[in-house]
Amino acid sequence: MSKRGKSVGSTLPKRDVNVIFSRRAALLSFVGAGVLGTILFRMAQLQATNLISREYSAAADENRFDTRIIAPPRGIIYDRFGTILAQTSKDYQVAVLRSEVDDLEEVVGRVAQILGQSVEWARRAVIKVRGGQRYEPVPIIEGLTWEQFNAINVRLPELRGVIANSADVRAYPYDIVYGHPIGYVQKPTQRDIDRVLEEGNPEGERRATYLRNPHVRVGKAGLEASMEQTLHGEAGWRKVIVNARGVEMGEDEGERREPVRGSGVVLTIDHELQRTAMQNFGEQSGAAIVMDIFSGDLLVMASAPGFDPNLFVNGISQANFDLYNGDEKKPLFDKVVTGTYAPGSTFKMMVGIAAKQAGVEDDWSVSCSGAFPYGGRTFHCWARGGHGRVNLHNAIKWSCDVYFYQAALRAGPERIAAVARQFGLGDHFDVNVPNIRDGLIPDPTWWRENRNEGWTGGLTLNYGIGQGAMGVTPLQLAVMAARLGNGGRAVAPRLVREAPGVTEPGQPPAMTGIAAEHLARVRDGMYGVCNEPGGTALRAGNLELVRNPETGAAVRKTPENSTWQPVQIAGKTGTAQVRALGGNRGRHYSTIEWRFRDNALFCCFGPWHEPRYACAVVVEHGGAGSAVAGPIAKEIMKETLLRDPSRRPGATLASLERNLASNT
Amino acid sequence: MTTANVLSSSGPNTIFDRFAKLNWGIITILCALAFVGVLMHFSVSSGDRLDMPVTHGVRFAAMMVMVIVAALVLDARFWLAIAYPLYAGALLLLVAVELVGATRMGAQRWLDIGPLSLQPSELMKVGIVLALARYYHQLDARRTGTVLWVIPPFLMIAAPVGLVMHQPDLGTALMILFAGVCIMFLGGLLWRIIAAGAIVAIGGAIFAYTSVLHDYQRDRVNVFLGITDDPLGAGYHVLQSKIAIGSAGLFGRGYLQGTQSQLDFLPEKHTDFIFTMIVEEFGLLGGALVLGLFGALLALTMQVAMKARSLFGKLAAAGVAATLACYVFINTAMVIGLVPVVGIPLPLLSFGGTAMMTLMAGFAVVLSIDLHRDQHGARGWLW
Repeated sequence: MSKRGKSVGSTLPKRDVNVIFSRRAALLSFVGAGVLGTILFRMAQLQATNLISREYSAAADENRFDTRIIAPPRGIIYDRFGTILAQTSKDYQVAVLRSEVDDLEEVVGRVAQILGQSVEWARRAVIKVRGGQRYEPVPIIEGLTWEQFNAINVRLPELRGVIANSADVRAYPYDIVYGHPIGYVQKPTQRDIDRVLEEGNPEGERRATYLRNPHVRVGKAGLEASMEQTLHGEAGWRKVIVNARGVEMGEDEGERREPVRGSGVVLTIDHELQRTAMQNFGEQSGAAIVMDIFSGDLLVMASAPGFDPNLFVNGISQANFDLYNGDEKKPLFDKVVTGTYAPGSTFKMMVGIAAKQAGVEDDWSVSCSGAFPYGGRTFHCWARGGHGRVNLHNAIKWSCDVYFYQAALRAGPERIAAVARQFGLGDHFDVNVPNIRDGLIPDPTWWRENRNEGWTGGLTLNYGIGQGAMGVTPLQLAVMAARLGNGGRAVAPRLVREAPGVTEPGQPPAMTGIAAEHLARVRDGMYGVCNEPGGTALRAGNLELVRNPETGAAVRKTPENSTWQPVQIAGKTGTAQVRALGGNRGRHYSTIEWRFRDNALFCCFGPWHEPRYACAVVVEHGGAGSAVAGPIAKEIMKETLLRDPSRRPGATLASLERNLASNT
Repeated sequence: MTTANVLSSSGPNTIFDRFAKLNWGIITILCALAFVGVLMHFSVSSGDRLDMPVTHGVRFAAMMVMVIVAALVLDARFWLAIAYPLYAGALLLLVAVELVGATRMGAQRWLDIGPLSLQPSELMKVGIVLALARYYHQLDARRTGTVLWVIPPFLMIAAPVGLVMHQPDLGTALMILFAGVCIMFLGGLLWRIIAAGAIVAIGGAIFAYTSVLHDYQRDRVNVFLGITDDPLGAGYHVLQSKIAIGSAGLFGRGYLQGTQSQLDFLPEKHTDFIFTMIVEEFGLLGGALVLGLFGALLALTMQVAMKARSLFGKLAAAGVAATLACYVFINTAMVIGLVPVVGIPLPLLSFGGTAMMTLMAGFAVVLSIDLHRDQHGARGWLW
């Protein structure tokens, strides 16, 4: 250093860098120690703050604990004898949480291997997971067997990001038989959530949060929707440990409230009969109802073709939905309560009663030549050749149009409408399913107000044969048959036999102003339809059942018991035009496009000697009521009378729920 | 320095002698800290995977062996000789990064050379220490008191700091600046100039805040200063870290039991926030122990600096200590919310080879200076 020092100007003061270094290094060391001390002090200070306020501990707990909703198991739906029609069963499924997975292909591949799935399946599962939420489990397979579920469960520790869980799923064991009236449950939609929020009640936000829970399902159609409150149950909750992405890592035992299962519902339906009804429809479209004429119990409430509600539970595929929605037979449409049809000739009992009320005598008869000229037009009878002289009894038996043209003129439209309404046509019957339509029984007042034109005599003639602007639902048709069958009591249908808040109906009140004698004449006519020569439903009336004189029970007719009294029914056919008058005239039935063919109707009650059941069948575009609707009604009625469900002891909700509790 | 020739033969002669005379205190502490790192990375992997802790341990072990070999065979003369070339090379690479570098995570820091990914700013952390040490080593003592001779070291610091700041990598720029200023200070910078510099620095900081800092950096400063409140943005990391430390208690929640860490509420727990994880699982005492280890390491390094016979050795060792202190202070102060979040890892503990390599290269210099303290001047051209 001295060597170089010489070249430096001597004016500069001498400095000893080693001394300076030592002093300053010591200074910096002290500063460093001070900084370390400050950091330590600050850490201690944070903990001291926490000792007093617990704020950091509380924040840490708030981070890691989360309250999770446990969706309640849904109430079970039973038929009147306790057969399970809708149940909640465990579904074992595997889901993948993408945020926790390193190599998705590899993990899904191993799951496929364990479950014995194909490579193609794994490829599709990977695509599904990629398309889903990153931080939410995406189900890749559902409906696992217990063995498969176990196989996955034991391997879970090595399958990071794979979740095996069991979820409650709604299952409808008889699928298409109960698409109607039971309906289905689904995940709440965004619209459901928005609706809850819009209602503006203070619980709205909480309720919306609940609906967003992936395990919550709500009734979206049929009885499931209309009895949502009863069936849903009460949610439980549990405290879980979650990570920063909200993924559940464990459960805080002890901090848990169990959910409460929704209440069960016992329907009035008799499953065996309902199934018989659905089977008898085959490929045809329509509705069938069997009703207890005293209690109003709907033993059958069938709409065909049915749909499989199970397909809807986890969200129906577009292809399946299109298949249902595009079908001209409208399987998604509950024809029992939402289908309205012109009643056709089944309306003639109403006209008959109204005519009696208007003073028409029993022996008043008309001559039917097959046509009736009125107001410059010709109104035809369905029988081209005419019926000759016809009184009320034969007019019903033969379904003579000409008689009822004139009877309607005698009775007048107001009187007919009043009688029809008394028998339930156009009335509202709340049977715990949504979208109930009330149909329409127009009268001159309605006509003036809604059509802006006067009522004409021609309209009265059409009225006489149940055509025109008139529309009734198959359910109303059944109610009409029931009220005819029970001797004029205003029975109302019911679908729910037992559920919280549902009360046992009392004896139905007698209808006012319906004379027993008038009713008897019309009922005799209906008996004739099914049992007397020339009756339009003679085939349908031939049940081949006889009555056991000792027990009173209906049994199948055999050579041995053929001397026993036959079991009979009384009914009425109807064939209602869909197209404006004469559109199908002169064309062979098979050449008419399906949707323009006539609707076939049949309603009846029985057994004749001691009526208990009423039945109504509508076959859309089936053609003649006697040829199509009658035979279906016959099979259903036969089965009904053989089973006689109203006289069998039904199941009680209390005992069903007890069994359920002891089984689980 | 006239005694140089006399002492030239008194250093350790055989490789075994030298091996025995290595600074085993420093080596032990380095190993202890790295071991804590291995423990924590096992915990980072929730205790069910070995790849991270093994990688960390193997990486450290390999570097430690290289450091020991380097310390055994290379002495101060080597480091002195490469000081300027190393600095010049690092500076050139920084310019290259500016021109053709790869941008990752919003910053242009990396230079991709075939399969290798090089971060020249790390090279500069060592380069600045050696180059400034050499500058003051060769500068006449009396000139250290002049303003004129402050200009070269000032430029030597300003050039890389400016380039790194522009990448932008605030943390690294601060570290280069801090190490450089420390060496200037230890090299004998006049107090008058220090005072003037401090005033300029404050003015510069205000200027930097208003017109140099990027938005995300300014956000972090704002949150830190309490100007903005943003618990889910820049402040989220620090908030979660404070929750973890505050709720840990004296002994912590236990190994593998830290809720904030194990449940991922603590972000970057394997890198910048590993110290928080240590405190959460091992408590205030665990944190104090780790800080104590770093303190001891700093003290031992300063001892090497004090005992070094040449100014180059003193300044180089002190420069390494300053770099280490800078890492430790900024990182730990950051996780407890004392300074804004700047992405600076805790060397030897945080996962990743970059900071570890920088630090270990520094300790190769320190160990070598310590080992060859008494053996110098054999070739006259240096002294």
